[in-house]
Amino acid sequence: MPKHYRPAGKKKEGNAAKYVTRSQAVKLLQVSLVTFRRLCILKGVFPREPKKKVKGNHHTYYHLKDILFVKHDPLLEKFREMRTYEKKIKKAEAKKNKDLYERLRTRKPTYTLDRLILERYPKFVDALRDLDDCLSMVHLFAALPALERENIEVKRIHNCRKLSHEWQAYIARTHKLRKVFISVKGIYYQAEVEGQKITWLTPHALQQVLPEDVDYNVMLTFLEFYETLLAFSNFKLYHSINVNYPPILDPQLEALAEELYALSRYLDANTRSSHASGSDQVEGQQNEKQHDESDLRLAQLQHQLPHNEPGVLMHLVEDAAGEDEEDEDTKECKNFFKDMKFFLGREVPRESLLFVIPAFGGIVSWEGDGAPFREADQSITHQIVDRPTQGHKFLSREYVQPQWIYDCVNARIILPTEGYLVGRVPPPHLSPFVDNEAEGYVPDYAETIKRLQAAARNEVLPMPGTVKEDLEDPQRLLVEGIIDRAEANEAAEKKRKMATLEKQYHDELKMELEGAQYSSSMVNQNIESNAASGEAREESVPDLQQIADDSANMSKIVMSRKKRRLLEAMEIGKKRKQANVDLLNERKKKNEAGQAPKKK
Amino acid sequence: MGAVGKKDKMKKEEEEKEERVEEEAPRARSVPEVLDGGGSPVDSGSDYEDYSDDGDSEDYELSEEDLESGEEGAAGSGSDQDESEDGNSEEFELLEESESGESDSQEHKGSVKTSNKGESSNDHARIDDSGSEISETDQRAEESDSSEDEVPSRNTIGDVPLEWYKDEEHIGYNVKGKKIKKKERQDKLDAFLASADDSKNWRKINDEYNDEVVELTKDETRLIRRLLKGKAPHAGFDPYPDYVDFFKWDDAKHPLSNAPEPKRRFIPSKWEAKRVAKYVRAIREGLIKLDKPKEEPRFYNLWGDDLNSKDKAGHLAYIPAPKPKLPGHDESYNPSLEYIPTQEEINSYQLMYEEDRPKFIPRRYTSLKSVPAYENAVNDSFERCMDLYMSYRAWKKRLNIDPESLKPKLPSRKDLKPYPVTCYLEYRGHEGAVVSISTEASGQWIASGSADGTVRIWEVETGRCRGVWTIGEPVQCVSWNPLSELPILAIAAGQDVLLLNTGLGNEEDQKNIQELLQVEISGTAGDSDEQPLVSWLQDDRCKHEAIRLRHFKTVTSVEWHRKGDYLSTVTPAGESRAILIHQLSKKITQKIPFKLHGLPVSSVFHPSRSIFFVSTKKNVRVYDLLKQKLIKKLETGLREVSSIAIHPQGDNLIVGSREGKLCWFDMDLSSQPYKTLQCHSKDITNVAFHRSYPLFASCSDDCTAYVFHGMVYSDFNQNPLIVPLEILRGHVSSNGRGVMDCKFHPRQPWLFTSGADSVVRLYCH
Repeated sequence: MPKHYRPAGKKKEGNAAKYVTRSQAVKLLQVSLVTFRRLCILKGVFPREPKKKVKGNHHTYYHLKDILFVKHDPLLEKFREMRTYEKKIKKAEAKKNKDLYERLRTRKPTYTLDRLILERYPKFVDALRDLDDCLSMVHLFAALPALERENIEVKRIHNCRKLSHEWQAYIARTHKLRKVFISVKGIYYQAEVEGQKITWLTPHALQQVLPEDVDYNVMLTFLEFYETLLAFSNFKLYHSINVNYPPILDPQLEALAEELYALSRYLDANTRSSHASGSDQVEGQQNEKQHDESDLRLAQLQHQLPHNEPGVLMHLVEDAAGEDEEDEDTKECKNFFKDMKFFLGREVPRESLLFVIPAFGGIVSWEGDGAPFREADQSITHQIVDRPTQGHKFLSREYVQPQWIYDCVNARIILPTEGYLVGRVPPPHLSPFVDNEAEGYVPDYAETIKRLQAAARNEVLPMPGTVKEDLEDPQRLLVEGIIDRAEANEAAEKKRKMATLEKQYHDELKMELEGAQYSSSMVNQNIESNAASGEAREESVPDLQQIADDSANMSKIVMSRKKRRLLEAMEIGKKRKQANVDLLNERKKKNEAGQAPKKK
Repeated sequence: MGAVGKKDKMKKEEEEKEERVEEEAPRARSVPEVLDGGGSPVDSGSDYEDYSDDGDSEDYELSEEDLESGEEGAAGSGSDQDESEDGNSEEFELLEESESGESDSQEHKGSVKTSNKGESSNDHARIDDSGSEISETDQRAEESDSSEDEVPSRNTIGDVPLEWYKDEEHIGYNVKGKKIKKKERQDKLDAFLASADDSKNWRKINDEYNDEVVELTKDETRLIRRLLKGKAPHAGFDPYPDYVDFFKWDDAKHPLSNAPEPKRRFIPSKWEAKRVAKYVRAIREGLIKLDKPKEEPRFYNLWGDDLNSKDKAGHLAYIPAPKPKLPGHDESYNPSLEYIPTQEEINSYQLMYEEDRPKFIPRRYTSLKSVPAYENAVNDSFERCMDLYMSYRAWKKRLNIDPESLKPKLPSRKDLKPYPVTCYLEYRGHEGAVVSISTEASGQWIASGSADGTVRIWEVETGRCRGVWTIGEPVQCVSWNPLSELPILAIAAGQDVLLLNTGLGNEEDQKNIQELLQVEISGTAGDSDEQPLVSWLQDDRCKHEAIRLRHFKTVTSVEWHRKGDYLSTVTPAGESRAILIHQLSKKITQKIPFKLHGLPVSSVFHPSRSIFFVSTKKNVRVYDLLKQKLIKKLETGLREVSSIAIHPQGDNLIVGSREGKLCWFDMDLSSQPYKTLQCHSKDITNVAFHRSYPLFASCSDDCTAYVFHGMVYSDFNQNPLIVPLEILRGHVSSNGRGVMDCKFHPRQPWLFTSGADSVVRLYCH
């Protein structure tokens, strides 16, 4: 009997029974395709690929269990209910039953997504793990114009704006931002919340164009879920720092479109008050509790330990007390821009900088109403401008381009400002998400930053103090920066020389070896002449390469076919990577070659 | 009508004037009354009303003043100055009025002025018109005001054309029937002077009917203005009064209908009660909610303290979507210069396939401010959405392994020494590709056959050419007799196989050989007609001591039996006579009694038993020569077998193929290859086992020869160990052929290779 034959009355088995196509699923759920799409998006159901596609290759397959999972969701029934309700409204309107129409219209059934969120993310960490897309989407919609035609309502745009600001305020307040990268597509931020690295993209603060060829219904459904998810996440996060969640903002600042600043002030005020009133006691109790516990432990341990080691135990207690505060990274971020005061020019991306600078412990102000301090403030250390020339300059502060902030933040050191001065083309802005070593190509500026970092680490202890002094004397910082760089360059040169020497030595050694072999053959053959020996020398270099290749190939011969194919695939990947790096190097060489004559 | 004739130069009867003055006073008083009474700001602003009130009161005062002045001026005209002052003030007011934006008034003023000036000239008709108009309006105003205050006009001629009196001395008749005389004509100059002197001149209008100059009061000008605007002439007129029903509805003595009141007017409505009951029920049941639903806080601590959260169960595992790729250096708004492709590269992208084309082309902006909005932001987001809900998700095992770990652990090559490593000697002398080589059993000599039709014998250690035999045809194969005391060389060239006495060995051996070969001659001669397969001939063509075995088709390979008496030849196109076995001692030839399936490629004798291997293009067949039957069929799985070699112990076999693969068969294990090694990139031309060392080699057209360690253990449980040892290079490709043959030295771990470049090489350890 052929394998595919299934006798009548026997159930389907295997892939045919486990997987259904999309149209089958729609039929099974008795909904329209649009509703099915909504359900899938909200429930997080995605197609799964069967090993054997029973109905053909051009279908989308869902697992039957997934579909049943959707089928048993109350949301499905709710959608049906809403549909009938819509019909009622339509009928009332058509029959000119104004009274009923009004009453029905104002009391439309609604649905909530909180249960779904809990179902999809049983733990808060799960939600945080999946927050990347959510944040990117919400930030994107916060920058979009409302469009009646596509059902993008002003209300939702505002809600997105609000949610994104709340999120940013939390991140800034708790100093959880780690990396920032300005790309052509927008600004990437990376924060670390509860051990989860969350990366999101905010578009540049410019008018966005809404393209025609996009199904906004799909995006809005996603957005609906994401809005709810982010709101609940924000609630949880605000709750964790003892702040009431739907924050009440200063209406004046809100009117000035400074929600972020308003929020940060709200957060500050709230945490302070709560610390002062409620949590103070709690903390006190906790401390007492801890102390009690530690005392108990101390007493227990003292029985076991000799009496002359109380220092160790003291350490233990201290650790226990300090542990729940903040991790090392957060502390570093918190004090990164400490004792610095920034002032933003009109032309810089204010929203982003207002987020980044406080997140790293800096104080910031801007031009406009509601700003905390004015431009004329003497204590400002850095003014961030992005224009070709700066008219009036205060001598007490430095004028830098906004990229300086981002580069400093990514490098985690205060970079010398000379490259970022007004009117200059700043040094290249590098992505903090790239592992240069793994990539195989290290851009020049990354090298420079690395040097600076190493230099900073050597004198890490006096750093905070010196930074302050340095800032008072920008000239010195500049000079130091130059010296640093010069040193770095020198070191690099030395290293390079060493490397070349080493390589030369190796080559010679190999040549000698080869030469010896060849000479022996020569002696035996009695034919080779001096000219031939020269030839041999020349040949020796590719021969070496061949020997290396051969030894690599040797083991390849004995491998099984599967493993060999795998290895070959790997090699292809490596080659591609190398080709990329080579291309970069070549371009670099060309650029340098192009620049050199110009300089002359 | 407030026509006050103060400026009359004609001083008529004083009584009349007094009369008029008497009349004037109450009327002037009445005007504000009317205005107050009207009081409704229907058509003008309240401030205007105020102003007009003021003006009126002023006017009123003024008129009283005038009255006095008139009384005074009855005696003489000395009071003109006062009046002019008053007039000035008035005009000022009026100017203010006109400034308030009514250009009509100015027009009006102008027209009035002209009328006043051009009494005599061509503007007559117009003046008339305006005069009549004003008079008409005056009349109407009078009528609407009160008919009692009407002043009868001086003239009584009625509504007749004034032309009739144009030539008369009088203009008409007064009430008493007396003629009213025409006044004296005023000089133009006088008129102009008067107008220049008198600022109130514009108010004056010549009344031709009565032949007098009438000065318009303020009320009158206002009224005219109203009319010009198309409003009701009086401010107090309300065009939309409330409707007052004339019918008295209640307390009518007689009702309209006599029918008694119906019952339904007294009992409560059933339907209403039903509807109310329905509503009440609905409210009670909660179907209708009267108060708005309470706003509950939408967000709460959904996850609680995370402790009691249960794991998901009951459905398939959720596969989180892969995170979007993080941006690299090239996506920066200000990347290093080397990340930016040149224009040529960008152009070259156009030539690529759509899917190979880079999605993103890096660009550089010199300042953050100049970065534009990313046009694909929404599209990218949408793509991501589509990926999230439309694309398959599955766990893919990501191999994060070191490529080195994939390579099998091989024993170190150092431990497997000795094996041939480097080229030690080259034997040069052939002029064509050296197709075949063979080592003499003692290991002292090596024979090589070339495509140039010669066979050479070299001394192995020195590279000296011992002798050259010209065969005449391209040599296909050379093979030494395995017995060291019988140094006979079998040479396959064209259709012939030559058994050549090489002249080596001591005299005794030479004698034996010569005997052997000599005997053959007679044998062949005798057997020639009985042997249809092969004709045994004494070679006479080349003056060598040799036997020529003439086949009917081209012979490709010759192989000796280990005892040196038998040799087998392969003629691939020979069909049933493809493989022949010749016996040297008896000079007999016989064909093998088996059917071959496919074209034969080569044949080998078993090194110790009477077993014969024949390889066709696909398979290797193993025959027992004693029992005369097929023992085994080895399935190579190769496309085209080119050569085979047998291990000296006889249980293992290697097969080389034209696709560059080498198969190792363990015949005790299975009829499938134990191992297939893909080593060469081109055809394998030959394979060889070493007689004593655990070595084997393969040579190929890609100009390389591989040397392997192939250890066969006597323990049956242990599989043979195969280790690639060395790749030997040195030959140069010519005509697409590389290394043609390889043979091991019988005692030393040395390898001879012969190449298409007409060189034979010796590789030593």
